[in-house]
Amino acid sequence: MLGLPEEFTPDFLARLEHLRIRTRREFEGLGKGAHLSPRRGSSLEFSDFRHYALGDDFRFIDWGLYGRTDKLYIKLFKEEEDLLTYIFLDASASMGLPEADRKFPMAVATALAFAYVALAQGDRVMIRVLAGDGKAATPGFVYGRHRIVELAQRLGAIRPAGQLDLATALARELVSIRRAGKVFVISDYLMMINSVTRGLGLFTAANMDVTAVQILGGAEMAGAGLAGDVELVDAESGERVMASIGNRERAQYRETLARLSREIRTFCLRRGLHYTLYTTDLNFHDFFLRASADFGLRRH
Amino acid sequence: MGLLFPGALYYLLALIPALALAYLVRERPRRVVVSSVLAFRALRARRGQRFGGWPRLDWMFFVEMLIIALAVLAIAGPYVTRTGNPIAVVLDDSAAMQAAIAPGRTRFDSARAALTEALAREGPGEVNLYLTAPQPHRAGPPFASAAEASAALANLHPADTPSDQAALSGLLSGLASDTRLRRVIYAGARPLATPALPPRIEAFASSDPLPNYAIGSFVLRRESLGQAALHARLTVANFSPAAQTLQLAITGDGRPVGHAQAHLEPGQIGAIEFPNLAPAGIYRASLAPADGFALDNVAWATAGAVKSISILFVTPTPADAAGLEGLPGISVRVASPSSFSPKDLASADLAIFEYAVPKEMPPVNTLLVMPPPGDPVFGFNVQPAAHVEITGWPPTGPLTDSVNFRLLNLHGGEYLGQHQWLQAIVTGSGGALMLAGERSGHRIVALGFNPFPYLGRQNLPMSVLTLNSLSYLAGFGAETAGYHTGDPWIVPAGVDAIVPPDGRKIKVTPGMLFTGANFQGLYQLVSSDGAKSLRAVNLANLRVSDLENTPAMKIEASGSGAMAEVAPRRLSVTSDFILAIVALVILEALIAYRRRRPVVTV
Repeated sequence: MLGLPEEFTPDFLARLEHLRIRTRREFEGLGKGAHLSPRRGSSLEFSDFRHYALGDDFRFIDWGLYGRTDKLYIKLFKEEEDLLTYIFLDASASMGLPEADRKFPMAVATALAFAYVALAQGDRVMIRVLAGDGKAATPGFVYGRHRIVELAQRLGAIRPAGQLDLATALARELVSIRRAGKVFVISDYLMMINSVTRGLGLFTAANMDVTAVQILGGAEMAGAGLAGDVELVDAESGERVMASIGNRERAQYRETLARLSREIRTFCLRRGLHYTLYTTDLNFHDFFLRASADFGLRRH
Repeated sequence: MGLLFPGALYYLLALIPALALAYLVRERPRRVVVSSVLAFRALRARRGQRFGGWPRLDWMFFVEMLIIALAVLAIAGPYVTRTGNPIAVVLDDSAAMQAAIAPGRTRFDSARAALTEALAREGPGEVNLYLTAPQPHRAGPPFASAAEASAALANLHPADTPSDQAALSGLLSGLASDTRLRRVIYAGARPLATPALPPRIEAFASSDPLPNYAIGSFVLRRESLGQAALHARLTVANFSPAAQTLQLAITGDGRPVGHAQAHLEPGQIGAIEFPNLAPAGIYRASLAPADGFALDNVAWATAGAVKSISILFVTPTPADAAGLEGLPGISVRVASPSSFSPKDLASADLAIFEYAVPKEMPPVNTLLVMPPPGDPVFGFNVQPAAHVEITGWPPTGPLTDSVNFRLLNLHGGEYLGQHQWLQAIVTGSGGALMLAGERSGHRIVALGFNPFPYLGRQNLPMSVLTLNSLSYLAGFGAETAGYHTGDPWIVPAGVDAIVPPDGRKIKVTPGMLFTGANFQGLYQLVSSDGAKSLRAVNLANLRVSDLENTPAMKIEASGSGAMAEVAPRRLSVTSDFILAIVALVILEALIAYRRRRPVVTV
């Protein structure tokens, strides 16, 4: 539909309309929006008092407080601004394997779903692709839900390729980010755990609200297609591992993969990050709508 | 079993270890590209490369080891030793062996049991099995033992064909004279009539008289052109010691179309006619009461055998062909003399040339109407006349029957004079007006006057003469013997497959001799364009049906009767080993094909 992934059915889009991004703290935006900002403004949310100064609007004088203290105080309110949403999409070679699992297309669909939720509520979205092939110059912030088509077309042209060091890549991206906001990092996180923790830790250090989405293939999780003596070649680093795989080894492989996911999840929970694991053998719609709370989304 | 070159087995000592070594060397793992080797690193420590360890002893390894072992054995020249003189077994599988001698037990069962029992008494040695129907023949290669031959006998069934008695007698005489044979065992419907048989010849005859009622022949014909109904004629016989009234019923396409009965004395053969059978595709005649030989109580016939007549009418005046098409069973195609080609006759049953003659002798029966003078093919001595008058005709004959020549009013015509090989049938004052004869197996009729166009009742004498002529040329009025089981046929033009009653499809080529009509019933002839026609094949042999009188068969055994000693023979089984190797190679190829995979991405 309009160049959007096939998962974006009218029904799914309608359901996305009902979701809002929830943040654990307030962020300054770039314009008027629906999120409370730390700035003083004209919303109904009370923020503070201050002494009346010449030129202040009489309408904001708290007359009750004047009656008790005989001093003039002005009531201050919070400002409502838009939310700056950053989506980082891993397009390294590992995201393309196994092809049958469609990890990367599902990662793109997830990124676009986040973007649509943000754009639909009037927030600004910036999508950054880490590694990958066929990347067009990514725009800065986009605004307005109609830009989702443009984003879909740009992401649709990208093919997973190359090697990714998450910590280095995210550090490079962080340099160009001027304002804090909501961050989504979508990856298979099939890398050394310290690279993951360093990368995600950078955003928490920058007071960002981070959601880590791990996408793994169903066949990848099961170790399907691996049997007998095999020379395993890492799609990104080219590292080779000789192994003889039987049922016991396959079980051990699955256990190792599950342990890696657990470690990432534990890190996220300890540092106050949202974490969700999606295996592509599950229905995308069911997964996304059911896990919306884990993503840091809420219904309104 | 032995080996001609046992030294070749030493190759095994070298080749099997070589195979194992080859497996060690070729034990290369396939390459699999994965998204990350992170989760596999732990496995590397446990099991890694195999080189230097035990080879993977899978199916492929054992199959290849077996192939090498068989190849070495084949090189060593394996053979089996055959000692002792062979045995010849002759089993009569002709139609008469289907006769039941007791409820659920036929002559064939009895003969087979006798042969099996006789073979069980024999020692080791080859067994040559001969069958008798439709012609005596050997049933495959010799069997290695009597047990194998007995097992083969259990799978045999009698055919619906009679056997060639003269050929069978010749076969038995030849076997009786062959001193290499340890024993000749015959089991059949006819006893052997030789007074002094050599003791190594053993005969089991199931020739007890059996009462039997039979249908001998079932012939359908259309008696004349213009008649839609068919005429059926069946012969029935009573081969029993008592007079019997036989009931004969005919169904056409499953519906009763005729019923008749005949009272026959013992040994009497009678005919039952059904002059007006309703048109149908398939006719089935059945005889009652039932007896122990069911095969000849049923007979089949097809209307397709009484096929429509396709006429090629070559004339400069096409209107003359009108009227013929209204006749039942006739289709007419008109061509002008200028456009006529001899190839046009390929699809015609008969040809009519009006005011024209072909440039070569036609390959079909032909009616020549007022042929032009001076043709080189027929050489008629034509005398045109403004008025011709008929003066002589035979009172009876296929061409002139029922024609009132006095009522024929002929105007113009031509006298045909004397002819070298055509006989004058109808003559006039100036010579012959109708000639008839045969040339190259085809009938030719020449007329000096023109009977066309066909006017039916408006010109009855001329119409009767026309129908007589066409009937004569189309072969009507003559009975055909039909098709009998065991008789070979020439496959008709255009037919490329034949489906016998058992449903198998046999590929054939037109013109070849089809020898597979060994069972009674309907055979489907399938043309290349998918068109199907039926052909009925019946036993129709009253000599076979006469189970009351089974004459003895005379055989002549020449020579001394003493058995000649046969030296032990070595039969090579190398070919069997090679066959086994080929089968195993195919098996290995299949296994390898299933395993062959490109680089896998996981």
